Amino acid sequence: MRPDSSASAEVRRADASMSLLVDLWTNALDPGYAASRGEPRRSSARRAVPLAVGLVAASFLVVIAAVQAHARAPAAARAHDRLVAQVQQESKAVADLSAQVDRLRAATGALRDSSLQGSAAGAALSTQLAQSELAAGTVAVTGPGLRVTLNDAPTTGAGQGNQGQGNRVEDRDLQSVVNALWAAGAEAIAINDQRLTGQSSIRAAGDAILVDFQPLRPPYVVQAIGDPVGMETTFAQSAAAARMRSYVQLYGLRFAYARASSLDVPAGVEEQLHDARPVHEPSSDRPTPNKKGSG
Amino acid sequence: MIVLLAVVGGVTAGLVLQPTVPLDLQPYLPIAVVAALDALFGGVRAWLEQIFNDKVFVVSFIGNVLVASLIVYLGDKLGVGGELSTGIVVVLGIRIFSNAAAIRRHLFRA
Repeated sequence: MRPDSSASAEVRRADASMSLLVDLWTNALDPGYAASRGEPRRSSARRAVPLAVGLVAASFLVVIAAVQAHARAPAAARAHDRLVAQVQQESKAVADLSAQVDRLRAATGALRDSSLQGSAAGAALSTQLAQSELAAGTVAVTGPGLRVTLNDAPTTGAGQGNQGQGNRVEDRDLQSVVNALWAAGAEAIAINDQRLTGQSSIRAAGDAILVDFQPLRPPYVVQAIGDPVGMETTFAQSAAAARMRSYVQLYGLRFAYARASSLDVPAGVEEQLHDARPVHEPSSDRPTPNKKGSG
Repeated sequence: MIVLLAVVGGVTAGLVLQPTVPLDLQPYLPIAVVAALDALFGGVRAWLEQIFNDKVFVVSFIGNVLVASLIVYLGDKLGVGGELSTGIVVVLGIRIFSNAAAIRRHLFRA
């Protein structure tokens, strides 16, 4: 081993084994440039071609990347817009179809009545049907009653709220108010023009309150048709009203009720019974189902 | 002059053609762009230091892009794809940064 090589080994830097980052920083320029420094310069015409090719390729690549990024970003927004439009279109279709159902139902009702009017027995049946429909809540009704209004606490003045947002009316509150109204003698009830019938439900899904799977928006207006004075007295003494009054003081919810001389309650959805049938079928060829099983 | 023409030609070609990159090649595009930027900054610095060499520029550009894409491909096959790409971005990023610093020193003497 020659002496000068051992001398050069001595001056080896202490961080030689960790020189990756140092190399990166000091030798950022491609070593080829330094190596080719001594080469004779070629004529400009021969130089131009590879230079131009390289520059065209490099700028082409950068522009492709930019175009790609530009094209991909709005794709998500477009998909979102499409979904929103689709939701709106489908909700409109649902509204159209339910309006059509209402029209057709009214038409079949009118046809049925006119065909029943022919005979005395038919007329009696028609009267009976009308009474049943009235009781089942499948026809729109009008009359005096009580109008109860519930609303969320105002969001700005939610000082007493335990959350950042204002306190809200929950499905339980609506349920108890409606039950108190039924107990007070209400004959027909609608919440925000959604008629409550024997199979209606008041539920919560997320932040929304659903009545028969239709989302409601506050304020919640409960219209109950019945004897206004008696209903108001009984409702005012009910536990539900007392609880709502305490919520007003504690959480800032809004709760009010007033007598109304004329309320319009729309028709409810006609229920389809699939499995239930009368225990005694008065005039049916079909054999009655097993009595033991019906217990 | 030729430089300006070539850059304008490349940009307009990209804008006019608007090529759609095949889905299989899309992971390589960002890395290839970083490698191309590294070659471009190196070329500008060499030009300012008056040691620019067109052959070195073109070869380093093509080599960088190919090697970077190859490493990404290898990382994909080995199942460490993201990590190897990060390594490339770090290495080339440091190089771009120090080349840009050298260019700045040449241009503004600061």
